[in-house]
Amino acid sequence: MAAKHDLTMRMIPFLDRHLVFPLLDFLTLKEVYPTEDLLKAKHELLSNTNMVDFVLKLYQEIHNTEDVPREFAEKKEKVLAQLEEFQTQTQNIIEVIENPEVIAALRQDKLQNLHFLKENYNFTDSMVLTLYDYGQLQFNCGNYGGAADMLYHFRVLSTDNERNFSALWGKLAAEILTGNWDVALEEMQKLREAIDQKSFSTPLQQLQQRTWLIHWSLFVFFNHPKGRDGIVDMLFSSQYINTIQTSCPWILRYLTTAVVTNKRRKTYIKELVKIIQQESYEYQDPITEFIEALYVHFDFEGAQQKLKECEEVLSNDFFLVAAREDFMENARQFISETYCRIHQKIDVKELSQTLNLTQEEGEKWIVNLIRDTRVDAKIDFEENTVIMNTPITSVYQQVIERTKGLSFKSQVFASAIEKRELAAASAATTAEAL
Amino acid sequence: MTKAQAGINGIVTPKFYIKCLVELEDFLQEAAQKEKAAKKKMNANNAKAMNAMKQKLKKNNKSFEDKIEMYRKDPDSLEEPAIVTVAATKKKSKNAFLAGSDSEDDDAAGPSTPQIDDSEFTTVGKGGKAVAEITSENLLQKLREILEARGKKSTDRNEQINTLQRLLKDATSSYQKIKVLLALISSRFDANLSMTGYMQVELWRSVEKEINQLLKIFETDPSFYVFENADDIDDEDKDIVAKPGQPIGLRGSLISFVERLDDEFTKSLQNIDPHTTDYIDRMRDEAGLYAILVRSQVYFEKHNLAASIGRVVMRRLEHVYFKPEQVISQIEIATQSVLGDHVKSSIITATDPAELVHQLCTYLYQQDVSVLRTRAMLCHIYHHALHQRFHVARDMLLMSHLQETIHQADIPTQILYNRVMVQLGLCAFRDGLIKESHSCLQEVQGSGRPKELLAQGVQMQRYGQPVAADQEQLERQRQLPFHMHINLELLECVYHTCSMLLEIPAQAQAGPNNKKVISKTFRRLLDYNERQAFLGPPENIRDHIMGAAKALASGEWEKSRDLIMAIKIWELMPNTQHIKDMLARKIQEEGLRTYLFTYASYYSTIGLAQLSQMFDLSTVNVSSIVAKMIWQEELSASLDQVTQCVVLHQVEQSRVQQLALQFADKAVNLVEQNERLLEQKNAEQRPEQQQQQKDRRGNKGQPGSQQNRNAVSGQRPFQQRTGRTQSARR
Repeated sequence: MAAKHDLTMRMIPFLDRHLVFPLLDFLTLKEVYPTEDLLKAKHELLSNTNMVDFVLKLYQEIHNTEDVPREFAEKKEKVLAQLEEFQTQTQNIIEVIENPEVIAALRQDKLQNLHFLKENYNFTDSMVLTLYDYGQLQFNCGNYGGAADMLYHFRVLSTDNERNFSALWGKLAAEILTGNWDVALEEMQKLREAIDQKSFSTPLQQLQQRTWLIHWSLFVFFNHPKGRDGIVDMLFSSQYINTIQTSCPWILRYLTTAVVTNKRRKTYIKELVKIIQQESYEYQDPITEFIEALYVHFDFEGAQQKLKECEEVLSNDFFLVAAREDFMENARQFISETYCRIHQKIDVKELSQTLNLTQEEGEKWIVNLIRDTRVDAKIDFEENTVIMNTPITSVYQQVIERTKGLSFKSQVFASAIEKRELAAASAATTAEAL
Repeated sequence: MTKAQAGINGIVTPKFYIKCLVELEDFLQEAAQKEKAAKKKMNANNAKAMNAMKQKLKKNNKSFEDKIEMYRKDPDSLEEPAIVTVAATKKKSKNAFLAGSDSEDDDAAGPSTPQIDDSEFTTVGKGGKAVAEITSENLLQKLREILEARGKKSTDRNEQINTLQRLLKDATSSYQKIKVLLALISSRFDANLSMTGYMQVELWRSVEKEINQLLKIFETDPSFYVFENADDIDDEDKDIVAKPGQPIGLRGSLISFVERLDDEFTKSLQNIDPHTTDYIDRMRDEAGLYAILVRSQVYFEKHNLAASIGRVVMRRLEHVYFKPEQVISQIEIATQSVLGDHVKSSIITATDPAELVHQLCTYLYQQDVSVLRTRAMLCHIYHHALHQRFHVARDMLLMSHLQETIHQADIPTQILYNRVMVQLGLCAFRDGLIKESHSCLQEVQGSGRPKELLAQGVQMQRYGQPVAADQEQLERQRQLPFHMHINLELLECVYHTCSMLLEIPAQAQAGPNNKKVISKTFRRLLDYNERQAFLGPPENIRDHIMGAAKALASGEWEKSRDLIMAIKIWELMPNTQHIKDMLARKIQEEGLRTYLFTYASYYSTIGLAQLSQMFDLSTVNVSSIVAKMIWQEELSASLDQVTQCVVLHQVEQSRVQQLALQFADKAVNLVEQNERLLEQKNAEQRPEQQQQQKDRRGNKGQPGSQQNRNAVSGQRPFQQRTGRTQSARR
């Protein structure tokens, strides 16, 4: 069950090796897959990186041995040597850059900066490149903080667009892995802008980049306190909705969760329902099915059932596990709100049943609901029912609604005409003067 | 001028020219005598023409007087052996022209022209016939002679074909065979020159055989191959043998042969009556043709002729895309058995039909030629739609963005596009996606001329005017062969059924004065049907659907269902029962919706159980449908959970209130329109502001006057409000 709705397999192709690692760790914790398989997967995953010590540990764990194969030792030495070499190379660069005098002299214009550094501190282009390479190496070794620093410096200095672009990706990954969510969010926005503005050789490439960004951004969005607003804003923009629909419909789970748990974004629900319906042939999981049951079929029992499944799915999802409580609460509210809007008279007992609560709890819940959402309803204790007062907008109200904007509009209109008249008059006078 | 005169003088006047002059003179005299003898006068034009001709002839003949004299004495005395075809035709045309101008001369001049022609043609023909002995040495020489004669007006094509066939028999080496075959195939295609007719089936079959022969040579003898840009080899009429490992390229275009063969096949199918056995017999040839396509594809692959591969793969795709999978696998098996195992393509390896189409298409997507890519995409979508993969097909269509550019495409591609849309619509219908189906079919069926748009028949009239002959000719050439047709009746039936399911509830919802039309054609038919004084029992599909629509509108869903079920054409769809069940269910649901819209104002509560019984739906279903209507604010009601019924909120509006609402709407409209007007004016004035000052002043009054008109007709309670807005506007 848990494995069936697990998305890790689908998401791995769109993530960096280093980013996959926490996912696998989480799976190990939840014991969704056999531990041994996961260990092997981890080993496979990291064996291409330079995190030699860690890989060695994994290797030993898998094979249950204590010996260190020679290749590991060799590799370790090589990596260390490389690190050493870069360290010395970048030493003076960093010194120069971090020199307060230099920082004071640096401006917005990159070319000028570079020129300045070249003249005064005999900088070369290759030195800037070294920063990039060193950043990459550090990232590969698992030293994410260092990598982020290097890449930051590189981006300040380099004018190479392609490298800058990949440095952006590297920086984002490094920030995510160090857990600097504020910085990561910033980086992500930069990257998003870069992807939107950059001209790709094929639309396919751009699509791919966006798909990647969506997957990477999940880390940020579900960890940053304001992330849930961000994800809704970003994923509902037309380019990203298209990306989801074409290349990664499973992201809908995250989008749905974000919308449901986000109190301020209720307006999005209609749009979300439309998209879920459109994509239902391609992707379905309990969470989208819940929305479908509630807003397409108005099947409250079905929704309730799905909600139970959702709970399990959420607790087994790396990104969503933190949002579980919120989701359940909000989902219940969704159900009852819809229910109240459609019904006039509701039996409290049955309602609490649909909401999976005891009768007393249900009553309390309803009272809270009435208070919070300002539903116009009363509880009839004798019959044990809730009676909704459906507001009927009177005709007068309707007419007022419709004509509300007219006077303002007309004012604008009048002033526009006036302006034109003036312009015409002045034009006429100038024409006469000529 | 004088020089030219001298040049002409230098040439001895040809004998037949004199002969003609003499004959003309004779005819004229004869005609003149007849005219005198006849009681009725010749009409003015003819008389004038004859006089003019008489004078011209007299003037002309003066310079040839002596020669004419000589000819009259002895017709054979003027010997003139020079070849004069050109002169003859010139004279001929002149003669014909004159004959045309003078109707009396017509029959007299008639026989004289063929006489001249005959004598000219036979002499040249003799030269061609004079093939005495063919040996392998002089074979190539002979071939060259024939090739040089090709295309000349005087060449007898059938004779050439015969000769070439004889040559082919005697050809020994592959080089000779290839050369002769190339010539033979082209001359066979030459045999039929007219645009309209099609190649005779016999002839077609022999070409097919010869192309196969040619391909066989290429397969067995690797030392030669043919491609378009090869250098012409000067063989000096000697046989050429390639060195081993060094194949020689010969000039020729196999792809054009194959394409022509395919075209001729289609043409013949267009012209044969599809209801005869001839058509079926002809269809049998398709297997052979398909085999040739595959075989030549393998040949092109072997020699890496990329452009040709693309074209031949396209042809192959066009032979399979519209067929069901079973048929495709049959034809593939047949082809494999004809070709044998040694002919294997490297790009197209699949045997599974869906996979095969996929491979053909993906190969074409990589081509540089955009037409091929577009067509491949359309074929692929069509194939998906045919096999009930609606979502895949739809996504492909949307992602290809073809809808935006299809108007610029060539007409056959547009036809293909229309076919794709229709097939997609049918596919959606089979899946029960009524709305999608309707919007897919709307464009083609809604236009009222699906026949023309799908190239399945020629429209005799357009906008009340007969189509020009050449236009019709072109259209005829575009027609699809019968076996590719999409059943138009089924299409119409599906379209109208979809329209019914959408239109009837929408009408019920919007009330009697509904201006929002979903399907114009359907509405027209329904209106027409309602105007009829007497209605007989339904006879055709349309009657059935109209009857069903009316029944649905009045809440009798059972009658509606029975009428729809009585339509026989559903049998044509695969999985008929499934589709019927789907339709019955849709009718139930839409019936319920229509019922609620229509009769809601007469109830204050309706029991869900009652509704469920009336429409034979489960209570859960009913409540789900009702809930949806309430949620979308289509129905002003709410559910009572305790008593299980729908409580309808009566919103009875008084006349004044209704009018007030309408008036408010109108006022909003007016403001919007004025704003638009201003915007428009601003936009057009900005560039030429200074010139148009005066015009603008003139126009200024217009919006104001419009306002006044509206204010006068407006209702009292709200006049104040709108009055204020008007003053603000001013």
